[in-house]
Amino acid sequence: MNDSEQSPQISEEGEVGFVEYQDYVSRKPFHFESGGSIPELSLRYETYGRLNVAKDNAILICHALTGDHHCAGVHNVDEKKLGWWNFMVGPGKPIDTSKYFVICSNVLGGCQGSTGPGSINPETGKRYNLDFPKLTLRDMVKAQVLLLDYLGIDCLHAVLGGSMGGMQTLQWAIECPDRVGRYIALACCARHNAQAIAFNDTGRQAIISDPAWEQGDYEPDEPPAEGLSVARMMAHITYLSDAGMEAKFGRRRRVVDESKEHFDVEFEVESYLRYQGQSFVSRFDANTYLYLTKALDRFDLHGPNSLDETLSVVTSPGLVVGFTSDWLYPPQGNREVVESLLRLGKDATYAELALDAGHDSFLLRDKKLYELIDRFLNR
Amino acid sequence: MNPNTKKRQVDFQVIAQWVNEGDRVLDLGCGRGVLLEYLKQKKSIYAVGVDIDFDRILSCVKRGVSAYHGDVKNLLSTFGDNSFDRVIFSRSVELLDEPDVILADALRVGKRVTVGFVNHGYWKNRLSFLTTGAGTVNEVYPKPWYETLRSNPFSLSEFEAFCEARSIRIEHKVPLGGNWRDECKLLPNLLAGYAIYDLAK
Repeated sequence: MNDSEQSPQISEEGEVGFVEYQDYVSRKPFHFESGGSIPELSLRYETYGRLNVAKDNAILICHALTGDHHCAGVHNVDEKKLGWWNFMVGPGKPIDTSKYFVICSNVLGGCQGSTGPGSINPETGKRYNLDFPKLTLRDMVKAQVLLLDYLGIDCLHAVLGGSMGGMQTLQWAIECPDRVGRYIALACCARHNAQAIAFNDTGRQAIISDPAWEQGDYEPDEPPAEGLSVARMMAHITYLSDAGMEAKFGRRRRVVDESKEHFDVEFEVESYLRYQGQSFVSRFDANTYLYLTKALDRFDLHGPNSLDETLSVVTSPGLVVGFTSDWLYPPQGNREVVESLLRLGKDATYAELALDAGHDSFLLRDKKLYELIDRFLNR
Repeated sequence: MNPNTKKRQVDFQVIAQWVNEGDRVLDLGCGRGVLLEYLKQKKSIYAVGVDIDFDRILSCVKRGVSAYHGDVKNLLSTFGDNSFDRVIFSRSVELLDEPDVILADALRVGKRVTVGFVNHGYWKNRLSFLTTGAGTVNEVYPKPWYETLRSNPFSLSEFEAFCEARSIRIEHKVPLGGNWRDECKLLPNLLAGYAIYDLAK
């Protein structure tokens, strides 16, 4: 049918440019869902744009498992890599920093500046390591709530995020319905299926079986690098897709050094994954990886009774986006959330994008994804 | 507004008459959400649209209409009995893979079902085929067969025979003439260009 509607002209785009992180510190004890507690907590965050006088133009972005608070701009001229969602956040972009005040914080339990297993416990003067309490996505949201209170924001214009960020987003809509104006959860699910748990546990076992792990008591400069690297390599495969990997690497070969033994890098894809594994070790903490993947595995919106019951408290309009080539959190798991919301009579939309980048599709600069987020945030 | 758009919106008023204030309405094959937006404004309904096309879902998002991108049959199966006051098929029954099964499930999920469709038995369609031996290409069927979705056109009498066979009650019906505007009471299977049915179990 020739009933297409003209897309609005995308306005001139700018960049957020140089950004600085900040640390929010709460000196009060923080109690975890599991019952454990820590005497104080710190959350590292960045903000872009300006909070208006009414304080009603704030958008919270939740990052994925190995993401961080740095989602747009650069910290200095030497930094080569832009924030992880730079194409989505900035003046004139879907998350328009000329209109919105954007907040992104490193999660509780993280290792990029927020309190996590690698932080020093002020009561003992030592790192928490495995004494860090059991962590859930609700704990992460509860910590972000403290940050919002500190910033004086009662109600967010929107909360959004992909993957673990999408699950935090759903948790936000459940925990604080009156503080969430609308929400967008991308490439997410209501709970891990057996396959997702299986992959996570294989990664955890790689770390735990590395002798350098030392029951979690390794020194920061002697991490279980082999284990963490293998965990990352395997997880990275689950973020891509068959078609995407085929297009990017196929069976292309490296120049093989014949003098080396025959399990040396031979294919491009091996080289790529080994590099991903090794570079991950330099920026990520193994214990945090264990804690966060466990938090994801435990996340279950079907419990204790049913998905419908859990979601019944949601009042904000929501958008859930699935990606056809995502086999880690397949479309069905995303759809299921919206099906439940629609059964409950909520304002909820499900959209599916046919992109071939697998789970990581939400990180692609794609025109349709761009328009979808833009229209939902600005409708 | 082009005449095609006008024709597409012809059933709005008729459907709106059958919708009660605050109803829960599910539109299967909702397109760009124009009908649901209209019903939301007129009757403050709870609206859910379903479509298989991403761009149309995008338009629904823009209109503030809740929409589900996916398969009609799959979504219907996730709803309980009578969970909607009305399920609407506006020019979408002819595009269904299993109209029989899906209409039955729509009647389970919805207390009432509205079906609007182009009458394939309309005399111009008959004459066109009789004289040219070819399918109609006009403003209602703007594209030749090889450029359109798989479609399963049917006539008023075929539809009524189906309802009879499946014991589906026809609560109301409004056949419209060739201009799709004025009600057509005389020989509807021959003279109606479009028809809207209000069905119950």
